[in-house]
Amino acid sequence: MGDVSFLERLHNLQDTYGYIPEKEIVSLAEEYDVPKAKIFGVISFYSMLYTEPTGKFIVRVCDSLSCYLNESDDLVRAVKDYLGIGHGETTEDKRFTLEVVECLGYCGEGPVMMINDKVYTYVSEKKALNILSNCL
Amino acid sequence: MVKINIDGQELELEAGTTILEAANEVQVNIPTLCYLEDLSVYGGCRLCVVEIIGEEMLRPACTTEIEDDMQIKTHSKKVREVRRNIFELIISSHDIDCKLNCLTCARSTNCELRDVGEQIDMQEMRLDAIERNYVDDSSSHSIVRKPNKCIACTRCIRKCEEVQGVGIFTKANRGPETVITTFKDRGMGNVDCTNCGQCIQACPTGALHESYHYNSVWHFLNDSSKFVVVQTAPAVRVALSEGFGEQPGTVATGQMVAALRRLGFDRVFDTNFTADLTIMEEGHELIDRIQNDGQLPMFTSCSPGWIKFIEHFYPEYLDNLSTCKSPQQMLGAVTKSYYAEQQGIPPEDIVVVSVMPCTAKKFESVRPEMDKDVDFVLTTRELIRMIKEFSLDMMNLAEEPYDKLMGTSSGAADIFGASGGVMEAALRTAYEVITEEELENLDFTAVRGTNGIKEAEVEIGDLTLKAAVVSGLGNAKELMERIEAGAEYHFVEIMACPGGCAGGGGQPIPTNQEIVEQRLNSLYEIDKHKSLRKSHQNPEIKQIYAEYLGEPGSEKAHELLHTSYVVRNI
Amino acid sequence: MEEKILLKEGIDIDLKGRGGDTPPAEPNINEYDFFVLEEALNLDREEIIEQIKEAYLKGRGGAGFPTGLKWEMALAEEAEQKYMICNADEAETGTFKDRYLLENVPFKVLEGIIIGAYAIGAEQAYIYMRGEYARPRNVFSKAIEEAYKQGLLGEDILGSGFNLELRLIKGAGAYICGEETALLNSIEGKRGRSRTKPPYPIQKGLFDQPTAVNNVETLASCREIIRIGAKEYKSLGTKESRGTKLVCLSGDIWKPGVYEVEFGQVTIKEIVEEYGGGTRDDAQLKFIIPGGASTSILPAEKLDIPYCYETLAQAGSSVGSGAIIVVDDSHNLFDLMVTVSRFFMDETCGTCFPCKEGNRQVNHILNKVADKGGFSKEEVEIVKSIGRTIYLSARCGLGQTSLNFIYSILKNYPDEVLLGGDKHGKD
Repeated sequence: MGDVSFLERLHNLQDTYGYIPEKEIVSLAEEYDVPKAKIFGVISFYSMLYTEPTGKFIVRVCDSLSCYLNESDDLVRAVKDYLGIGHGETTEDKRFTLEVVECLGYCGEGPVMMINDKVYTYVSEKKALNILSNCL
Repeated sequence: MVKINIDGQELELEAGTTILEAANEVQVNIPTLCYLEDLSVYGGCRLCVVEIIGEEMLRPACTTEIEDDMQIKTHSKKVREVRRNIFELIISSHDIDCKLNCLTCARSTNCELRDVGEQIDMQEMRLDAIERNYVDDSSSHSIVRKPNKCIACTRCIRKCEEVQGVGIFTKANRGPETVITTFKDRGMGNVDCTNCGQCIQACPTGALHESYHYNSVWHFLNDSSKFVVVQTAPAVRVALSEGFGEQPGTVATGQMVAALRRLGFDRVFDTNFTADLTIMEEGHELIDRIQNDGQLPMFTSCSPGWIKFIEHFYPEYLDNLSTCKSPQQMLGAVTKSYYAEQQGIPPEDIVVVSVMPCTAKKFESVRPEMDKDVDFVLTTRELIRMIKEFSLDMMNLAEEPYDKLMGTSSGAADIFGASGGVMEAALRTAYEVITEEELENLDFTAVRGTNGIKEAEVEIGDLTLKAAVVSGLGNAKELMERIEAGAEYHFVEIMACPGGCAGGGGQPIPTNQEIVEQRLNSLYEIDKHKSLRKSHQNPEIKQIYAEYLGEPGSEKAHELLHTSYVVRNI
Repeated sequence: MEEKILLKEGIDIDLKGRGGDTPPAEPNINEYDFFVLEEALNLDREEIIEQIKEAYLKGRGGAGFPTGLKWEMALAEEAEQKYMICNADEAETGTFKDRYLLENVPFKVLEGIIIGAYAIGAEQAYIYMRGEYARPRNVFSKAIEEAYKQGLLGEDILGSGFNLELRLIKGAGAYICGEETALLNSIEGKRGRSRTKPPYPIQKGLFDQPTAVNNVETLASCREIIRIGAKEYKSLGTKESRGTKLVCLSGDIWKPGVYEVEFGQVTIKEIVEEYGGGTRDDAQLKFIIPGGASTSILPAEKLDIPYCYETLAQAGSSVGSGAIIVVDDSHNLFDLMVTVSRFFMDETCGTCFPCKEGNRQVNHILNKVADKGGFSKEEVEIVKSIGRTIYLSARCGLGQTSLNFIYSILKNYPDEVLLGGDKHGKD
């Protein structure tokens, strides 16, 4: 905080652990001399940072207007049904965390789905299930 | 200087003045919610928006500095409409239901939302209530948080962080999920909260209030098998009357004692008595530490907020804390031993209730180190509720004295309610004990006043006693940093709340610097007009040592009046 | 039909059939000529700013503030440290042009950043890119790395004596961070809440130092202005809308994509029909959103206007980010309103009450309305008054524009949205 590297450090922790564990927050709090609550507040502001463990694959499905016009609601429903979880939830086997998100920036190619760092466009229900079933 | 026009009034003010401040100059109090004096400016609630002639958008008065030739309308049609709409929106998600929850709210009589609603003349509510369904946080022994009533003005966050230097609260999430919470939603009882209650003083709504004990107290008052004893802290007598419409600082000691008897307490004791006792014990401890190369500086231990603070953040200094229990705990301890013995009452039949300006005292009373000396702790506000429910016209009650054996106190005890008071009381006694000479000028003015950190050097015989007096935990943090950097003191008084107990988290709302100063003045007035002004001259103190405790620092005294501390994690 | 400036290198712009799954080849720094940068670094700072001012370039991120003026003010500020920030937090629904530039012409963007930093006297620059842009981030990170190796960043750039450090900051998923003051907080490692203005970033920005925040397309355009000269750039477009603009076409359209158009030379209708190939499946065009979800809609019958700042302002909307979202008449208006409303509700930073509570309440009303199939007159009035309140009193642009879409639907289709009214489209 008050440091351009701070966000990057949070990202690195997120990448390392799949979430930002409490012990890391506490040591950041000590290092930056800020309350740990404040760091929790920062992490919770950003949808790509987590304080609880996430699944191996974070599935983000866009449900914003451009994708909605391309039937992203059907895609969202299909993904939810397939994974058996709702927005913000993680499957029991810790494979998937689902996020129904606002705009991923591929509006011309909707509906769009992102799994970890990889973007999939023109995602039909069939394509989605095919991609998800290959996430091992 | 900057020339402006507010609501037709021409005025010239210094550059850097905000519109909010400028409006005050022409006696216009623009409504605010997130703004609170002495805290950083947030600019979130937008209720204070005003119209600047020539601009389409409205601007918040709290953050906008005046500019030359600014023409400001604080109550134009546009402004009034926008304010009402914002207010309506705030209310819609503020846990409104049909269960009379305005009446049952902790802030039913002094809700800032209601004040603003009245101020802006809300005439209708068009919006549906938005249910948020958060769970109340009852994890703390001292404070309850009701997130459904929280409007997220962040005053508690800022108070905790900026004034108290602690920072247990944060804003979490964003959008509609934006909420004020503690680290990982752990709850106030499971984080590094000091229980000081300053967040309650900052909250404009009923989202924060003390953990109530008064219902239990009612219960025992109606239980004839119990002998219910009450004690009242020094700072309560100068604040209680505010609950009955009196000016801040109006003293109501005798009326309060009378009211407590009417409520049904079997004995009414004065925590002042054990304040004097604290001086005997703590003074003895200090002299012992100085004379026998003990751990210095010695920190006072009366303020349970400060105790928890040092346990969390500076545990390496726990040996510097005086081992004396606080006056509240001492009174409980001697009531259940000395008094019980004197009166032939089985200690298990005694219920000790204390009335404190403090929320942290609730936590203190349940510390395992404390042996249940005190059973219930009422804040000043809770006692006001009880007296009101009893429909007593308190200010017109004939004044009554405290009960004997533990009801007499010196003026030195009264000023325990003020930052610097413990120091001053200790100095009065230490001087005479060490030098065996009479102290001529009893007023140590260097340690008085609302400055956060006060330092003084006092000549006591051959010794130049270096003292520091601190109030507010943010200042305590600063002092600890000074000590870590090498500053040396013999004796340091630290109170968790700004101004000392007079500004405590359990005092009537509002409590602000001006009000605290009025309460402090009254405490010093009480002291000034007492003939007994030194703890060691209190006849009841002499009596308890003669009949029961022996000497200060005796084995018996240690057993009953001293305690220990624990290391806590951050 | 009109001049191409930004996309002159003739890159593939029709997205159909390619998409993010199979991204284009990564640009190679050795195949790129940094002659414009070299030219710029030989100019005085003031000369560059004069060029940008003369070209009358307006910010392409959405707010449309004149870039030259911003730089001039930033240059005039006295401070030990100044910052140039490239805003690549593109997240306005319907917008993907910046990603397109970052992936396809990263060196142009890089040149723009260096030129801008040089012009305002900043020796430290950041590009803040939204966290979801993994591939653009990889491409641009590599571009930065290679630029350092080739002496295009770091000390004494191209022997000019100008030093610049550039660092990429990865956002972490928050639309509001595209708002310049929220972006600053985010770079500082804080919650991305907007700051109260004034002071403006050019006065007190990153770490309270003067800071110019410019959009990706804006900076790339600055590079082009230096390349072709302000006079030529200015000759394109109209009086208030100079040069060209990237538009992003999406929605119910045959050929979505990024297209560069010269302001004033083509109508919105032409953009939709000729570039976008018209609405899909021969459905009837209902309306378009001209500049992302925070701009007011234009109904189909009002699209025969030249695409530029002036006409769109006259029509009650705005160029915004250039995201043209095309909507045909097969959709339920209430569902669309709920979708857009949810976006703004979810993405408010949660700081100012009118925006946080207003968007929540409007979403609540819209859900209710969608369930019962129409607004009561009172509900329309309430939504309008909340909209006006947010517009007049919110802390930042996100709030102020958050109800434009809803408001404009109510205004343009009063009969269709009222209970008992004449509803077109499917239910």
